[in-house]
Amino acid sequence: MVKNTRTPTSTGGLLPLNLPQPAAVEADRNGHPARVLVRGVLRSVVAVTGQWRIDDEWWRSEISRAYYTVELDSGAHLTMYNDLVTGGWYSQPYTAPARLKAG
Amino acid sequence: MEFICALVPHFSVALARRDNPALQALPVVTGQASEARGSVIDCSDEAMRAGVAPGMLITRAQVLCPSAAVIPMREEQAKAAGEAFADVLADLCPATEAIEPGHVHADVRGMAKLAGLGPAEYLAELQETIAGLTGLAVRVGGASTVFVAHAAAGFLAGPSCHIARREGEEALGPLPVEALPVSNEMLRRLHLFGLERLGQVGELPPTALQAQFGREGLLAWRLIHCEEPGRLMPRHDEVRIVERVSLPAPAVMSTPLVLGTEIALQRALRHPEADGRALRRADWVAELENEERLSLPFVFREPTADPARMLFVIRNAIERQVLTAPAIGIEVTLSGICSEYVRQERLWRSGPRNQEALSEAIEQIGARTRGQQIYRIVEVEPWSRIPERQRALAAYSP
Repeated sequence: MVKNTRTPTSTGGLLPLNLPQPAAVEADRNGHPARVLVRGVLRSVVAVTGQWRIDDEWWRSEISRAYYTVELDSGAHLTMYNDLVTGGWYSQPYTAPARLKAG
Repeated sequence: MEFICALVPHFSVALARRDNPALQALPVVTGQASEARGSVIDCSDEAMRAGVAPGMLITRAQVLCPSAAVIPMREEQAKAAGEAFADVLADLCPATEAIEPGHVHADVRGMAKLAGLGPAEYLAELQETIAGLTGLAVRVGGASTVFVAHAAAGFLAGPSCHIARREGEEALGPLPVEALPVSNEMLRRLHLFGLERLGQVGELPPTALQAQFGREGLLAWRLIHCEEPGRLMPRHDEVRIVERVSLPAPAVMSTPLVLGTEIALQRALRHPEADGRALRRADWVAELENEERLSLPFVFREPTADPARMLFVIRNAIERQVLTAPAIGIEVTLSGICSEYVRQERLWRSGPRNQEALSEAIEQIGARTRGQQIYRIVEVEPWSRIPERQRALAAYSP
């Protein structure tokens, strides 16, 4: 039997990166983002250019997010999501997951 | 009194009537009348009573209300007039939020005391000032929450109406449920339940409303009981740097345009507002001899303070343009001022000699601060669909 070393578990000094940032978003009737507060300026969403969902880890701490990529009236593009568990809005740059190598 | 709501009912109709007082006596419909199948933007109360509604075809509106004067108006016109209206409020109140053209909420805490007036007198004076400056029949409501102020402006009698904090719930009670900022579906269901007035809705327990209508139901209950969850989202005037260069001779080739743009960028970046800051956006305008303006917006992928990088982006677009007349001037507007991002890859791709100096510098920083300051990005779960799980920062030791 392995002896308990009583060493506290840790992430080995890793700091999280790309954490979601709370965002002030006004949603329209369909729940899509309509206006976003960007650096103190309220910007209108002129186009939703992408939309997808992530539902994961329902067996642990459920993650359910509706992501949107939007174009603002300033011309800027933004990726944000609506946390469907807590109801909050967050901005978060999104990168697609790397594909696992076959074999 | 903390908040006011300044509202011009049927804004585009009010604009038309201001510009042509003869329309005061007539039902008015505003819309895109130049197009055969144009739709109604807004209409006066008289036209509404005849069955006209926004979004309806103008031909249908003319059948329903034959005496109505149809005034052609583009949405951009109403939007520009709405911005002018919001500017007037911004000059009079410390913080404002434009909701839509002709509808502005403002934070006026302390303003009545500053003017040496009571809340009701201050509100009446403010209403007169706004009406005088804009020429529009504005209604102003003031209260301790935004919703009560909005309800006072939209639904209570008189051009200005102040509701004291303790009178809020009582004043809201007789108002129709249409005062609530909720979906049409919720309003329809409230009517089906026989709930016509805010007082009736407010008497219900919040849990019952939440069970029936979800978040909207709870929001409605809190608004009626003056427990407002939201506050103003005040507008901020963005700093813009504008620089104009007159070309020595009318030009149609790209070379003088690029040169003029370069000079304008260099001058703009010498402004004190841009000192040590990076910019996210440039708007380039060529003024043409035929009095047209060719406008191109550019949003940089990364904020930059480097005129050469800006010019690199702008140059490609300029070279693709075909001018309808020779250009006589270039105007560059820089905006989106922020602090510059660090570009990490330049450090780590700087060759072996520089790597040694870099490692030494990292060690010195570590020794001086007695803590970890330099990190590298490592892949943790690159296959994860959850972005924050894919990469992390790990302490870097040379």
